[in-house]
Amino acid sequence: MTDPELLTLAHNWFTEKGWKPFAFQEEAWQAYLHGYHGLVNAPTGSGKTYSLVMPVLLEYIREQQETGISPGSKAKGLRAIWITPIKALAKEISNSAQRAVQGLDVDWQVKLRTGDTSPSEREKMKRNPPEFMITTPESLQLMLAQKGYEKFFKNLKTVVCDEWHELMGSKRGVQMELALSRLKTICPNLRVWGISATIGNMDEALQALLGSSLQKGKYRVIKSDIKKAIEVESVLPDDVEQLPWAGHLGTKLIDKVIPIIQKSKSTLIFTNTRSFAEIWYQKLLERSPDLAGIMAMHHGSISRELRDWVEEALHTEQLKAVVCTSSLDLGVDFRPVETIIQIGSPKGVARFMQRAGRSGHQPGALSKIYFVPTHSLELIEAAALRDAIANGVVEDRVPYIRSFDVLIQYLVTLAVSDGFRPDEIFQEVKGTFCYSSITEEEWRWLLDFITTGGAALTAYDEYRKVEVENGVYKVTNRRIAMRHRLSIGTIVSDSSLQVKYVSGKYIGTIEEWFIARLNPGDVFWFAGRNLELVRIKDMTVQVRKTKKKAKVVPSWQGGRMPLSSQMSVVLRKKLHEITIKDFDHDVELRFLQPLMDLQKKRSHLPTKNEFLVEYFKSTEGFHVLMYPFEGRAVHEGMAALLAYRIAKIIPITFSIAMNDYGFELLSDQEIPLYEAIETDVLSADNLWQDIQASINSVEMARRRFRDIASISGLVFKGYPGQQVKERHLQSSSQLFFDVFNDYESHNLLLLQAYEEVMEFQLEEARMRNALQRINKQKIIITEPDKPTPLAFPIMVDRLSREKLSSEKLEDRVRRMQLQFDQ
Amino acid sequence: MTYKVGLVSEEVTIRDNTFVLYPEKAVLWKTKGILLISDLHLGKVNHFRRSGIAVPHSPNDQNIERLIALLQEVKPERVLFMGDLFHSHYNQEWEVFGQVLKYFPAVSFELVMGNHDIMSDYQYLKHQLIIHREPLKVGSFIMSHEPIDEVPEACYNFAGHIHPGVHLRGKGRQGITLPCFYFSKDQSLLPAFGAFTGLYKIKPKVDDQIFVIVDNKVLKV
Repeated sequence: MTDPELLTLAHNWFTEKGWKPFAFQEEAWQAYLHGYHGLVNAPTGSGKTYSLVMPVLLEYIREQQETGISPGSKAKGLRAIWITPIKALAKEISNSAQRAVQGLDVDWQVKLRTGDTSPSEREKMKRNPPEFMITTPESLQLMLAQKGYEKFFKNLKTVVCDEWHELMGSKRGVQMELALSRLKTICPNLRVWGISATIGNMDEALQALLGSSLQKGKYRVIKSDIKKAIEVESVLPDDVEQLPWAGHLGTKLIDKVIPIIQKSKSTLIFTNTRSFAEIWYQKLLERSPDLAGIMAMHHGSISRELRDWVEEALHTEQLKAVVCTSSLDLGVDFRPVETIIQIGSPKGVARFMQRAGRSGHQPGALSKIYFVPTHSLELIEAAALRDAIANGVVEDRVPYIRSFDVLIQYLVTLAVSDGFRPDEIFQEVKGTFCYSSITEEEWRWLLDFITTGGAALTAYDEYRKVEVENGVYKVTNRRIAMRHRLSIGTIVSDSSLQVKYVSGKYIGTIEEWFIARLNPGDVFWFAGRNLELVRIKDMTVQVRKTKKKAKVVPSWQGGRMPLSSQMSVVLRKKLHEITIKDFDHDVELRFLQPLMDLQKKRSHLPTKNEFLVEYFKSTEGFHVLMYPFEGRAVHEGMAALLAYRIAKIIPITFSIAMNDYGFELLSDQEIPLYEAIETDVLSADNLWQDIQASINSVEMARRRFRDIASISGLVFKGYPGQQVKERHLQSSSQLFFDVFNDYESHNLLLLQAYEEVMEFQLEEARMRNALQRINKQKIIITEPDKPTPLAFPIMVDRLSREKLSSEKLEDRVRRMQLQFDQ
Repeated sequence: MTYKVGLVSEEVTIRDNTFVLYPEKAVLWKTKGILLISDLHLGKVNHFRRSGIAVPHSPNDQNIERLIALLQEVKPERVLFMGDLFHSHYNQEWEVFGQVLKYFPAVSFELVMGNHDIMSDYQYLKHQLIIHREPLKVGSFIMSHEPIDEVPEACYNFAGHIHPGVHLRGKGRQGITLPCFYFSKDQSLLPAFGAFTGLYKIKPKVDDQIFVIVDNKVLKV
C-alpha cells in the first residue's frame, strides 16, 4: 500500500466518525510515516492524540502488507509506548487509541501500565506485552529495572511523550531523556515524538526531547493553528475603596461571585493555594447555602477517591461549581464546564490561559474567565494578563540540567536489571540534553559513588551496592535491588500525615507542622467539612465529623508561585500606561486611578524609565522600599543582597519583606540610603559572590537537598512490614546534607543542591538582568510622610511573617487602613 | 587530626549536685565522677554503607576522637552510656570502640540499654561493659534511656533518646536549630553524642533551662 492509500484509510475512518482532520494532524501523519522524529505543538482538546496514534497504526499496516504477514499470525511484541504525566489522562488516551485500533481493524492490544497496575497484570504484560502501551515515566524506568528488558523492548518502534512541556520542567523529564537514550541504542530505528502546548522556549523543548537525534536533522516541528479566543473580565467592586490594599483571599467580592456561579451551568473556581480553596468553599457555602450538595472541592491533598468522584460528577453534569487549585489545571476535559473564575493573580500567563481553556469546548467557542482581585494592585495584573494573551506571550519551561541525583538512580536501575558497561552508557548519557556537559571526571565520581560509596576502599569497608564483574556494573544483593525498585521515581512527597476517620476511611493528607499545633478536641476545616481531632497515631490523624464550627483551616507549604518573568515585563508596561494615563484598553487601570493618584501624591508613580525608591521613618523604624516588579523570589535575593552591601558601609541590622512588586528593608537605625545608592549598591558586579555571602545559601541548599537525597537513594522511606534492619536505615536528608557539607564538599549531589538554589530559587540570571535594567533607569528617591499604596502590601506581608498572632495582625491591618482613609 | 576538648563548658546545680556540661555532648556529675553520654549510635555509618547508602566514614572517626579526648580530659571513674550505644546489628565499628575502652582499664563502663541496643549479650560482655536493663538509680537520680513519664517525687531523671534540639530565631528571618542540654524541674535530656544522628526539635517551657552547643561552646539561652 502506498502512503497516499494509507492516508486514505485514516481519512475514511475520520469521515465515518463525522470528523475532518486538521491540517496539523495530516502533517504529523505524513512526517511520521516518512520516518521523522518530531514535536507536535497543539493545545489540549485539539485532537492531538490522533495526530500520532493514527500514523503509528498506519505504519504497522504498511509493514504487514510489505512483509505479507497475515494479521494475527504471530506475536508482535511492544511496538509503541505513549508516555503521559498524569494517570487521569491515561484512560482517555487508551479510549482514543482503542477506537482507532478498532476503526482501522488492527489486531493490537492497548493497555495501561501505571503505578495502579496490579503485580499480576504487570507480570502478564512482561510475558505477553501489549502492542500499544500507555504509561508514565516512572513505570518506564521500572521496566528498565526488569531482567531481560532489552528483549522486552526490541520491537519498539516509537515513544510518544505527551504533555512534554509539563514533563520537561521537572526531573521526570530528565528521567525520560535517560530512558530514551537507552531505548535508542536497543532499537536503532526508534522514532521519538513529543506533544507540547505552546511554551516560550519551544527550541529547548525539542532539544531536550530528541537529544543526540537532533544532530541527524531528521525531525519536524508541527504547529497547530488552532487558537482559542479568551476573554478576561475582572470582577470589580462598586467602588475602589472597597478593595483592600493588601490581602490574598479576596472574599470581600464573594457577593459578586455568587451571581456568576448561579447563572452558569457549571463553574470551576480556581484558587492559588489549597488553603484558599478550603476557605472559599467554606465561605461560599455560608453565603449561599443552596450550593450545598451541588458544589465540591478538588485539590492535591484530598484523597484520590474523592477527587475521582468530583471529576466524574463534573462529567455527568451533577455539579454546579467546583472550587479547585492547580490540581484541575491538567487532565481530561470537562465538557459541561461553562465558566471559569480565577481568584487572585495566577502569576503566570500560561497557567491563566490553561485555566481559561477549561471552558468553551465547542470549536470556535469563546473561553471566558473572570478574574477576582484579592487586593487593589492585583488589578494591574489582570490588565497585564489580558495584554500578554493578546500578544501571545507565554512562559518558558526551564529544563533541568546536570541532575546527578536522577542519573545515580538511573545507573542503579540499569545495574539492578541486566547490568551495564560504563563506556556504552557514558556515550548515551552524554548524548542527552541534560547531561551534554558531563565530564569524564564527573562520570568517574558517579561510578565511584555507586560502587565504593565515594570512599577509598579500605579493608574493613563493607559498602555494597553496585559491584563490578568483568567490566559489567551490577547489583547482586537482592535486598538492595528490591529497595531500589521500591524507590524509583523523582516525585518526592511531603512529610505529611494521613487524615482518616476513626473508622479508617481515608480523607486526605495534611502537613505535620499544622497538626502539631492542634490538640485533641480541636476542630479544623478540611476537605470541605468540620473535623474534630481525635488522636494522632502511627502517622495518621484520626478525626470525626462534627457540628462544631472549625477554628482553623490548614495550609500547605509552597503554595504561592512568584510572578513569572514574562508577566513582570507586561506588568511594568501596564504600570507605565497608568503613569502616562493611557487607560484605553483596560477598565482595571481606569478603576485604579484614584489609588494611583494617591501614590503619586504621597510619593511618585514611576514611568518605564524610572526606578522608584521610598525612604521614610515610622514608629517601627526606618524603611527603604524599592519596586523592581520582578516577583518575590528575585526580590528576596535582591533585598538580602542590598542589606549585605549596605551593612558593609555601616554596621546595621535589617528585617526584610517582599512581595511580587517590590521589597522592604527595615532597620531600627537610620539607613545610609543616599550614600548606598551613590556607591552602586544596585550594581550587578560581583553578584555571585555577594549573593553567596548575603543569603543563607546553606539553609536554602539544605532544603533543596531533600529531593536530591531521596531521588539518589540516600534516604529510604521504608515500607510496611519491614524488618528492624531496614528501620535502622531511616534518616533524614538533613543529616546527609550536614555530613557532606562537613566532610565531603566535592560531593556532586551537594554541589547540585547549591546550583539548584541559584538557578531555580534565586533565579540568578533574572536577578542579574533586573539589576542591569535598574542601572539604566533613573533612580527617583522620595520621602513620603505615610506608607504609600505600593508600600502598604509589602509592609503587611512583613507583619504576617513576624509571627504576630492572626488576630492581632487583623487588628493591625484594620488600624493601618483606618489611618490611611482620610 | 586530634580532637581538642572545648574550653567553654557550663555548670549547673541540681538538687545540690554539680554537673558540668561539655560541648562534646557529655555531662560530668562532678561529686560522683560519673560521665553521662547518651545516644552514640556507633556503627551507624557502617550500617548504612553496608546497605548501599554512601555516607562518608568521617563521622565514625569524629565520634571516636571526641570520646577519647573527653575521657583523657575529664578522667571519670565511671562512664554511663545512656542507651543507643550501638546503632544496629554488629559491625566492625564495635571492635574499634572496644579498643578505646581497653585504653582506660581503671574506668567502669556501663550501659543503660536503649531501644537500638539489639546486639547479643556476648558483644557487651566481650568489652567488659556492665549492662543495666532497667533505669539505674544513683542516689535520688534516675538514669534512663527513654525519659520517664512520671518522675517520682524527690527524684530527678536524666535521659537520652530524644536527641533534643532547639530552634532559635533572630532578626531578618534568621533561624537556626542547635543541639542542647535540657533541664526541667525534674528531668534532663542529654544531647545525642553521635555524629550523623540528627535532632528533634523540642518546645521548651518558660521555667526550663536550656544550654545550646554552638561552635564547640556550651551557652545558656
